Amino acid sequence: MKKFSKVAVLAAFMSTGVSAGALHAQTAEVLHWWTSGSEQAALAEVRKAFEAKGGAWVDTPIAGGGNARAAAVNRMLGGDPASVFQFSIGQQLRELADQGLLANVDKIASEEHWDEKLPPLIVKAAKYDGEYIAAPINIHGENWMFFNKAGLEKAGVDVPKSWSEFMTAAKKLEDAGIIPIGLGGQPWQERIMFNSVLLGVGGRDFYAKLYSTLDDDLLASDTMGKVFETFAALKPFVDESSPGRNWNEATNMVIKGDAAFQFMGDWAKGEIIAAGVEPGSTVGCAFAPAIDTAYIMTVDAFAFSAMDGEEEATPAQAKMAQVMLEPDVQIAFNKKKGSIPARLDVPADSFDSCAQMAIKTLQDPKTHLVSTGLFGVPSSVSGAIDDSISNFWNSADMSPQEGQEQFRQAIANAK
Amino acid sequence: MAEPAQGGLKPSQGGRRRWRPQWTARMALIPAMTITIVCFYGFIIWTFVISLTRSRLLPVYKFTGFDQYFRLFANERWWTAMQNLAIHGVLFIGGCMLFGYLLAILIDRGIKAEGLFRTVFMLPLSMSFIVTGVIWQWVMNPGLGLQEAVRALGWASFEFNWIVRPDRSIYTLAIAGIWQQVGLCMALFLAGLRNIDPNIWKATRVDGIPVWRVYLHVITPMLRTVFFTVFILMSAIVMKAFDLVVALTGGGPGFSSDLPARFVVDHILNRQELGLGAAGAFVLLCTVIAVISPYIHFELRKERGGRGH
Repeated sequence: MKKFSKVAVLAAFMSTGVSAGALHAQTAEVLHWWTSGSEQAALAEVRKAFEAKGGAWVDTPIAGGGNARAAAVNRMLGGDPASVFQFSIGQQLRELADQGLLANVDKIASEEHWDEKLPPLIVKAAKYDGEYIAAPINIHGENWMFFNKAGLEKAGVDVPKSWSEFMTAAKKLEDAGIIPIGLGGQPWQERIMFNSVLLGVGGRDFYAKLYSTLDDDLLASDTMGKVFETFAALKPFVDESSPGRNWNEATNMVIKGDAAFQFMGDWAKGEIIAAGVEPGSTVGCAFAPAIDTAYIMTVDAFAFSAMDGEEEATPAQAKMAQVMLEPDVQIAFNKKKGSIPARLDVPADSFDSCAQMAIKTLQDPKTHLVSTGLFGVPSSVSGAIDDSISNFWNSADMSPQEGQEQFRQAIANAK
Repeated sequence: MAEPAQGGLKPSQGGRRRWRPQWTARMALIPAMTITIVCFYGFIIWTFVISLTRSRLLPVYKFTGFDQYFRLFANERWWTAMQNLAIHGVLFIGGCMLFGYLLAILIDRGIKAEGLFRTVFMLPLSMSFIVTGVIWQWVMNPGLGLQEAVRALGWASFEFNWIVRPDRSIYTLAIAGIWQQVGLCMALFLAGLRNIDPNIWKATRVDGIPVWRVYLHVITPMLRTVFFTVFILMSAIVMKAFDLVVALTGGGPGFSSDLPARFVVDHILNRQELGLGAAGAFVLLCTVIAVISPYIHFELRKERGGRGH
């Protein structure tokens, strides 16, 4: 009797073991920092598609990008990794790959022809040693200029196409009692505005060359001098309470008409939609003034942990990668997230007018640019860039020449 | 091993009874000691080791000598943070002591509704630094808080915009910090004042010494140990000040109100500069030791000397 029960228990254990194994093959734990309403709604689209394909989704949301990244890394080092985790692609992810902590999804990527469908710069950033270590799920743009149409009308100005036009328009707006630029005075927001000026004054080739090489001659060049002069000239057009302000508060200033322009990424559309405004209607969108058309891309991406030290993706991980880049999921996800599909071959007609403009622009590969970090710049350098720009922006007595020199030195020190 | 044996031998004439409780006490201390040694000294050593490597996201043990320290010292933001620590430390500790002592004296002079005032001054202490930071951020925001309110009352040229001025933002930290901690200092000083022998007051009254001189020349020197306690407590708060900056100014405008602790956390967690952050933490520790230890040494020696007489 006793023996029998032992066998029964053993059998029971084995059967659960087997089913747990089968379950394991289809289960993916997803660690991410998308906790706000629109972000959750967007991710729910991926989850729905993944579960429709027979996968089981274990959700691990952690508020705050920094916290979530730290948690993902700590769990990896502790030997209990989340199988799929949100991460910024770039230098840090490469470092994880360097330590053999990541699985590659190269097999599914070549089956699905990611190389042809994703923008080449993003392909490059998502690969390590020629293999995909991350699935880019969307493209956000950073060189947007949102504006309040009624405010512009009141001051009698058109949407500026160049930075000199912008200066004239800003003066008129000021006279009309409208704050010309709604800026959130935090280093990363100041950097976004700086990059728009850099692109607008220097042009897309200069921008790409500067951030991909960090070349000392370019940093000391006259073009860079002009960039700093233009950036400095924007200082008087920002209100006094700007320092420390959050980006969404600045967006709300534009929605309400207190401020005329905001230079921000297209995630601001989420805030505009939440206020009950259709992007492109009373709040308009345009690319920041520039001498040639370009789109500064930044991507959200998911990476895959090496499970049991295996650098080949598990079936669940491969399935997740596949689902994330499926055209239907790309459309549903990105409409809720306010971004555009990472794949450029997805039909654009169901998106809002701002997104359609971005998708159309990206059909020309010459317009492709990426945000500072995606050029493979180490985070130490991009951090130093933020510090230096913010310091220049907030120091009333620093001349553009001094700002340029400080920028050059900060990069040299951090390299 | 030698020590417990000695402890066991010595009191053998007096009685073996004492041998046992001593051991129990020691056994009981082992967990606490292990935690202190491992978590405190162990991690200090580990931090130092990391600061000698070129670790970025993960600890890697490729040693590069004092490279991270050279990078740290070439970093303008680090020096701003260190300078800010000095300014904030002096203002905050000085302010807390001065205002705490003055409030304690006022209450000690027999103010009406003493209990009410004591509670009012102690209340901010029940709030975290984060909450304090957020409140003061609103109060000092020029378009939202005090400045706007006074201007709305009719004084149009009134200016209080320190929080958005890079050359003044560091002082806002001291204002918010003092507001929060002054109650604790007051309570400590008040306890000290209440312990003063009433006969001293009687004696000074007989001698006809003015009250302010009694406080300055008689009472204050007697409260030496209380001043010491307050100083140590407040120094600890200054050194670990992190949440207040994050909530109040976010280190800004630019990095004008940054503090070393925030610099370290930012570089380790957000910038994947483990080595540089560790170097910053170690330099901070050395600075603290260099500044505080002479004072502690001086005070403790004095105390011991005093007891000997």
